[in-house]
This record gives sequence, C-alpha cells and structure tokens, in this order.
Amino acid sequence: MTAPIIQIQDLGLAFDGFTALDGVSLDVMAGQCIVVCGPSGSGKSTLLRCVNGLERFQRGDVVVDGTSVRDCRDLPRLRRGIGMVFQHFELYPHMTVLENVTLAPIKAKGLSKAEAERVALHYLDQVGIADQAGKHPGRLSGGQQQRAAIARALALEPKVMLFDEPTSALDPEMISEVLRVMLDLARSGMTMLVVTHEMGFAREVADRIVFMDRGSIVETAGTAQFFSASQTERAREFLHKVLAKI
Amino acid sequence: MDWHVIQANLPLLLRGLGTSLQLAAVAVLLSFPLGCLLAIGRLSRRAWLSLTCGGFVNLMRSNPLVLVLFWFYFLVPIITGRAVSDLGSIVIAFVIFFSVYFAEIVRSGIQSVGSRQVQAGLSTGLTYPQTMRHIVMPQAIRAMLPALTTQCIVVFQGTTVAYIVGYDELLHTASMAAERTGRPVELYVAVAVMYFLVCTAGSLLARNLERKS
Amino acid sequence: MNYQFNWAMLITEPYFGWIADGVLTTLHLALIAWCIAFVLGVAVGSCRVSGSAVLRLFGGAYVELFRNIPLLVQLFLWLYVAPQLLPADTRLWWNRLDSVPYWTAVIGISFYTSSRIAEQIRAAMNAIPQGQFRAALSTGLTPVQMYRHVILPYAIRIMLPAITSEFLTVFKNTALALTIGVLEITATTRKIEAWSFKGIEAYTVASLTYLATTVAVIGVMTWLERRLYIPGLIRRGG
Repeated sequence: MTAPIIQIQDLGLAFDGFTALDGVSLDVMAGQCIVVCGPSGSGKSTLLRCVNGLERFQRGDVVVDGTSVRDCRDLPRLRRGIGMVFQHFELYPHMTVLENVTLAPIKAKGLSKAEAERVALHYLDQVGIADQAGKHPGRLSGGQQQRAAIARALALEPKVMLFDEPTSALDPEMISEVLRVMLDLARSGMTMLVVTHEMGFAREVADRIVFMDRGSIVETAGTAQFFSASQTERAREFLHKVLAKI
Repeated sequence: MDWHVIQANLPLLLRGLGTSLQLAAVAVLLSFPLGCLLAIGRLSRRAWLSLTCGGFVNLMRSNPLVLVLFWFYFLVPIITGRAVSDLGSIVIAFVIFFSVYFAEIVRSGIQSVGSRQVQAGLSTGLTYPQTMRHIVMPQAIRAMLPALTTQCIVVFQGTTVAYIVGYDELLHTASMAAERTGRPVELYVAVAVMYFLVCTAGSLLARNLERKS
Repeated sequence: MNYQFNWAMLITEPYFGWIADGVLTTLHLALIAWCIAFVLGVAVGSCRVSGSAVLRLFGGAYVELFRNIPLLVQLFLWLYVAPQLLPADTRLWWNRLDSVPYWTAVIGISFYTSSRIAEQIRAAMNAIPQGQFRAALSTGLTPVQMYRHVILPYAIRIMLPAITSEFLTVFKNTALALTIGVLEITATTRKIEAWSFKGIEAYTVASLTYLATTVAVIGVMTWLERRLYIPGLIRRGG
C-alpha cells in the first residue's frame, strides 16, 4: 500500500491560551475526497491552514507528499503543490480574472505569459467562466467569483486541493454551480480536503467524513456509516441541526 | 558640544514653549467654533451658503499657512486703517487658516453619523436642531475626537510659522539664543526635543482616544 | 481702505522674471521631495507591517521622530546640525555646494513627508483583508512577490485620495523653505512686496499659483483614480 499523500500527525496549536487544535491526526490517500465538518470554532479552517503552512503549529507535524511542513525550508514551493479555495474567494480585486489566475503560474512557477494564459483559459473553461476572463472580480456574481478562485488554484496543477467553506458566503442559488465544479473535480480523481456544511455534497462524493469539535476529531467514518449510524452523540446532534436547516 | 548653553538658556526656552502653547491654545479655541459654523454652512441645503462655505474652505486649504500669514500681515492694517499688533495679525491668520481644517473634520464627523440616524430622530418628533444636538453631534464628536486631537498637534506645530514674522515663540526664542551664544547645534537640538516631547504626548493621547472609540 | 492697485507691474521686469523663477522652484522642489518621500514612505510603511519585530520597531521610531517635530524645526536641524555630523571633508564639500539651502529643503521635506506616507501605507495595508495575504501565499508566491504583485498595488489604490492630499500638502510645505533662503514663490512675492509695497498684487500671484496647482493636481488624480479604479470594489467620489 502506498503512503498517504497528506499525513496529519498529532497536530497541536494554541493562540493566546485558546486551544485551536488538540492532537489531530488524519491520513488522506491520493484521490480521496475527505469532508471535514463540525460546529463553528471547532478548528476545521485552522486545520486546513496548517496543511499548507499558513498557520504555524506548535505540536505534531503535517507531511504532504513526503515533505514535512514543520521543517519545510521552501514554503512557496510546497504551497504550489497545494491549491486552496477560501470562503470569501479572495480574488485580487485590482486584477482581471485572467490576471488573477496567471499571477502565480508566472511569478511562482516561472511560466511564460502565453503559456500561463493557455493554462488559465483551460481551467477557466473547466469551471465554465472562460468568457469572463477579461473582467474584474467585482463585476462577477459570487458563484462566478468562487469558480474563478477554484481555477486560480487549479492553474498551479496541484496534487491536493483544500476547500475552506467554499459555499458559505454564497447566495443559495449560486451554491449549486460551485458544488457542481467541485463534484466534477472529485470524480476526476483530485485529492480533496473539504471543510463544508453541505451534507448533500458530502453524501455524494466524500470517501470519508471527519467530524471535529473543540479542536479535535470526534469521529471519522465512511460516508454511508456517518449518515446512517454516527457513533457519537455530538455528531448525531450536529447532523440533526445541519439537516434540519435544509 | 557644549551642553551648558542649554542649561543656561533653559528658562528662556521654557518661556518660549509657554508662548507657543498659549498661541496654539488660543488658535484652537477660536478656530474650532468657527470651523463648526463653516461645516454646518457647508452641509446646509441653501445652495448659496453651502457653496460660499465650500469655496472658502477650498480656497484656504490650497494656500500655505505662511502665505496666509503674509496676507493678513499686509491686509489687516490696510483694511482697519490703523496699526495692529503683531500678535493680532498672527492670531487672525491662524484662526482663519485652521478653522477650515476643523471644518473638514467636523463635516466628515457629522456625515459619518449618516442620514438614517437623522431620519430616526426626526421620526420620533424631534426638530432638526434637536436631532443635531441630541443624536448627531454626540456621535459625531466621539467619532472625530482622534482627528481633533491630531489637528491640535498640527496647530501646535504650525505655531513655528510665527517665527517667520519674528514673533517670540519657542523657535524664534531659540534662534535668537543661538545667534547670541553662537551655539545653534545645541539649541536647535534642544528645541527639537521639546517639540518632540509635546507632540508625542499629544499623539499618544490621540491613539488612546482612537482605541476607546 | 487706501490702496493704489498696480496689476500691470507684475508683467514688467524684474518682477516677471522673479515670479517665473519662483513658480518653477516651487514646482520642482515639491516634485523631487515628493518622489523621494514616496519611496522612503513605502519602505518605512512596509517595515511597520512586516513580520520582523526589529523592522516594526525601526519603522515606528522613524515615523514618530519625523512626525512629531515641526517641519520648520527639522529644516533648521538639517541646515545647522546635520552637517556637523558629517566627516570634515564631506562637510567642506557640502558647504561649498551652490544650492545648499535648496537641497536642505529637499531632504527636510522628503523625510518629514515620508513619515506621513508611511502611516498611510500602514493604514492601507491594515485595510486589506487578511484573506488576500493567505490567498497569495497559498498559490506559492513568496512574501516579497505577494507584496510586490498583490498587496502594494491594492494598497496604493486604496491610498490614492490620501496620496493626493499629501501631494498638495508637500506643495504648501515648500513655502517653509523660504526660512532657509530658498526663493520659491512665497518668498519671491514677499520680496516683491518689500521691493514695491504692492502686497495685494504680489500675494495674489502666490495664491493663484497654489490654487492653480491644487486644481491641476486634483484633476490629474481624479483621472488616475478613474483609470486605476477597481470595478465593483471602491466607489469613486464622495
């Protein structure tokens, strides 16, 4: 059996006396889609940020594709191999969509402008907004902006994609267009670690579901088992609340 | 370096500092009310009033303080037809010059409160002046306190301009002493330290106010 | 009021030549000082928001020092005190320069203004959402690339109105250079007044110079703001 592409080992992180992560361990195999859920403040987003070294942790380690994040001397190189999608898109407002997508391939990867634009248009086409490439993000709808942000991450041709509540800031009618893109991506074999409350998405594509609360993993289960027979009271309670909202 | 010269001139310099502080205080106390009037005039719905006040503010703001001071130094005796004391011309120039900066602070303070608060006040049956007095102004003043404090520091720093017409504030006192003793290095460093201490104290106060609001 | 106007004298020599020189001096003094101040201000402002505690301390001290001493006093420090700190032969070279007052004014106004620009850089950086920093890093940009391509261009657009008013402030501040013997427009009109006793005419020229520059600068900056305006993010005007 091959080694997991992401190995999270006993991760611990505290700021100002508040424990954000407390001994989190998780393995993600190449090609898997893992959904992380849990109440707000449970440390899900912090966990994602630890994976690409945006957050410095005090205990444990994350190993991504054989590279230890703790000992990593070249974080930009590590991050090029990991795409990340944010809750609030975080497109650069002063650049066009195309410039947003090509910036890192040109500056961080050293692609020529023409090559970067070719790659960018390919991924913009994949997420269905190639026709918006010349516009500024402020001119797009929320759903289009998030799809552009996904294209920006994909343009680096990463091995792993991290999604941090990608649909939480969207109007309801725009959620499905983003989920559709994510669904296709998961089916194409991309390794994905997704923080989301979209249980429909989880049920459809997740290989495993991780339930977090107060900085630790409370339960990890196969998707079918998680929905039909959660082992813990806290997970059942959470599921009940989330599903009741829909 | 001869630091005794500072010690010997310290009482003189402190008196100069006192004069600078007094000049700044008078300028602030007179220009702030004038600035409030200008701000209210600028926000008025009467076009002629708002245009006049706006034009005056922009005209004043585009000129340097030195030039305004020269204008009044030259004009006041001609207009009044008699000699006016140096201090009189300086105070008039300072008050008129700085009032437009206060006007801008007050105007943005009032605008920061927003029209919905005014509508809320009017909807409960208050008159427009009552709404301004009880609802808008208390919020506006809190919002503009840090900017007002910073402006007071600007006024204090601006009092050095009175040096140019030979008024005996701190900088002029120091330059006279420098000439008399032949030790400009020590004396200018000393006044720089004095200005620095007063202004730093002021900006710490402004930062504190900002944190509170 | 008892005053004889004589506007025609303004276009006679020597006054006209003086005025032309004065206007030009004001313009290039302000431009040179502003360019230096902008570069220094961006550097110091970046220090103030950097991750290094040493750089932040340096940036903070720099800003406090240059902001809390009146410009006029700083000009005196540069003119009388700073040359004393130079090695003897450098000082000799400096004192022999033709235009010591002019370059003293350039240095003094640049440093003073840079502290104010640094503060605006800091405020603008703090106004940029944290997510922008994370997003840039997450795509593998180095911190330097992040500042160069994402954060600074964003910050400068946020700062544009403040930069405009700072530029106008530099213009007005050049008038203080008259105290150390630079014949810019205010000093020139003062000289004309002393020469001819025609204060109103002379000062009108100076005031119109400042007014015209203000109008021109605001015009250019409005055009620039419109060009750099970020669609859907920053509303113009107001």
